[in-house]
Amino acid sequence: MTKRITIDPITRIEGHLRIDVEVDGGAVQKAWASSTMWRGIEKILLGRDPRDAWAFTQRFCGVCTTVHALASVRAVEDALSLEVPLNAQYIRNLIMIAHALHDHVVHFYQLSALDWVDVTTIPKADPKKASSLGESLSNWTGNSSKQMAAVQAKILALVQSGQLGPFAHGYWGHPAMKLPPDVNLLATSHYLQALEYQRYANQVVAILGGKTPHIQNLTPGGVANAINLNSEATLNLDKLYQVKALLDKVIPFVQEVYFNDVCAVASFYPEWFGYGSGVTNYLSVPDLPLDTKNTKFDFPGGVIFNGDLKTYKPISGPRDEFFRKGVTEETAHAYYKGSEPLHPWKGETEPEFTDFQENGKYSWVKAPRFQGQPMQVGPLANVLAAFAAGDPLTTKWAVRALETVAAISGKKVGPEVLHSTLGRHAARAIRCAVLSELALKHWQLLVDNITKGDTKTFNVPTWPKGEVEGMGFHEAPRGTLSHWVVIEAEKIKNYQAVVPTTWNASPRDAKGNPGPYEASLLRNPVADSNHPLEVIRTVHSFDPCMSCAVHTFDPDGSEVANVKVL
Amino acid sequence: MTQSIAVYGIGNVLIGDDAVGPTIVHHLEALYDFPSNVVVEDLGTPSLDLAGRLAGTDVVLFVDAVSAKGAPGEIRAYTRAEIVKHPPSLRISPHDPSLKETLLTLELLPNAPREVKLIGVIPASLDQFGLSAEVRAAIPAVIDAVLAELSRYGVIATPRAGASVSAAFWEAA
Repeated sequence: MTKRITIDPITRIEGHLRIDVEVDGGAVQKAWASSTMWRGIEKILLGRDPRDAWAFTQRFCGVCTTVHALASVRAVEDALSLEVPLNAQYIRNLIMIAHALHDHVVHFYQLSALDWVDVTTIPKADPKKASSLGESLSNWTGNSSKQMAAVQAKILALVQSGQLGPFAHGYWGHPAMKLPPDVNLLATSHYLQALEYQRYANQVVAILGGKTPHIQNLTPGGVANAINLNSEATLNLDKLYQVKALLDKVIPFVQEVYFNDVCAVASFYPEWFGYGSGVTNYLSVPDLPLDTKNTKFDFPGGVIFNGDLKTYKPISGPRDEFFRKGVTEETAHAYYKGSEPLHPWKGETEPEFTDFQENGKYSWVKAPRFQGQPMQVGPLANVLAAFAAGDPLTTKWAVRALETVAAISGKKVGPEVLHSTLGRHAARAIRCAVLSELALKHWQLLVDNITKGDTKTFNVPTWPKGEVEGMGFHEAPRGTLSHWVVIEAEKIKNYQAVVPTTWNASPRDAKGNPGPYEASLLRNPVADSNHPLEVIRTVHSFDPCMSCAVHTFDPDGSEVANVKVL
Repeated sequence: MTQSIAVYGIGNVLIGDDAVGPTIVHHLEALYDFPSNVVVEDLGTPSLDLAGRLAGTDVVLFVDAVSAKGAPGEIRAYTRAEIVKHPPSLRISPHDPSLKETLLTLELLPNAPREVKLIGVIPASLDQFGLSAEVRAAIPAVIDAVLAELSRYGVIATPRAGASVSAAFWEAA
């Protein structure tokens, strides 16, 4: 018998991601992803000064602030053909990397880990065994049996109190939970440590960006950081070494704890390398520019079709017509007017709300397409592109991930397993490890360039006559982000943001092709319709992020996710 | 040792009255000088990483929009116990409301704040851009409520002579 499950965390005033699945024979047969809130923010920008746009766009959402600021200044710079001084590129690169290290760590531990880790088994764990497992994987100093015992005591107190505190919402005791208690204890210890280490990454963003969330130092043409190695008020050697000291704390956590935890969890759930592939067309863009003209990049990006790495085609930079001409958005199944696929510069955001109609319009998310095809974006797309491009750092960490999984599980795994729910987690850990190495490289590039005597951080914009178009992209933690701006007489005439979650949470297009979330859920097992943990696992693996959160506190506690089974 | 105190405005400045928290912070920053143990900051819409930020601060005072019974612009104060009264919800995205969860997570960390309070303002609307007239009219009362709360911890905010509040970037035309 077919059962319909709706997972809808919306409340009276909030709008988020809603997932509908039809389950038959213990597996998902049909799926719909929709957003229940209108993203009309682009309209707020019309008529404003393009130099101010980034301050607004970084308020789109509370998680991805920095990335929208960056894509926005890049779009305006592109429209004005404005070069960016090397110091500004390196400072931005360091901010981007630190933000990504922070974001990937938070995503794994605070959002996803509890999909796989059952904290309620921790009272049964042996702290000594948890410690020796941790110590067999790395030299991390936070794995002593004393530390494990302390975490176990805290969790035991929570379990005995009958109040599970922050873990109260999990699907505990679910048949799909398979980690031994010792592994659950190890991972939960790292869950708590992650809260400390992600903060160090955020402090890097705050030192360089002036503040976080919502950095203050961007401007089209560069950054507002003045550089004077001898002045306290500017970016100086002292601040640069504070950044270095923070990175030196975060990097071991990424490489020795996060990376190994993902591999360890994957080893115990090998079946999840077989679920969740979905759309295997992948899109990512190159990032971490190494020159003022945005023609050389430290992390490659490009397009792969049908999961075949041989089809890889690189995107050379933001001026590459392959990317600029390839993107359209469709609204056949989204609550907007219009029916033709539109290029973002011609994009429209005119709402036309209907109720949820599974064969009609059902989402506030538009359907972005590349050359007419749905594309998966995110760390997996980025890692596959960099791997196909032969990037040595990506290759090194990808090989290490597969070898670590094989060593723990005793079974050899090849790169083909990456097209999956667990593959997205593995790719995020691989990307994070690569970025952790690049962090020190870009720190050194900045220091070397400054000590050479270059203190330039800003090029003054000149405004062209008539109408100009610009596009700024950024390979953000959740995937390819692009902002598209049309400027006329120093004012914004049109603005469209094509965000990673729009690609991944895309509804069906006019041809009926589903988006990546929808496709990835097909054939997912569902053991218990009332507790669709497996559906949550696959959705979380994408790191969903619906732009614009409303964080209004509701004292009556009605902010519960609603799981409805029909 | 002097205790560390933080006043955090929370909310999305692009979504109607959800901007009230950041707006109050904008006013406080313009109108008052605070002693060095007090941080006043607009956090926008923070997420699951909030716990790491709060750890190590003694007293945290949030200003946010609240959905409660009452007329738009009315102020409601909540203690930590009232905030965590109901269990946290299933998270789908990292955005999902996380204040409760943050406070519960802090219990597991060594340096949780000793006191947490929320000064809430009932919104009129979250559908427009910019504050509603009701919530705008409530700004002086909310500022007074924040200052009264701070004075309980011995914090004297010094009014800046001749200071006025310029439009925040999101309010500028």
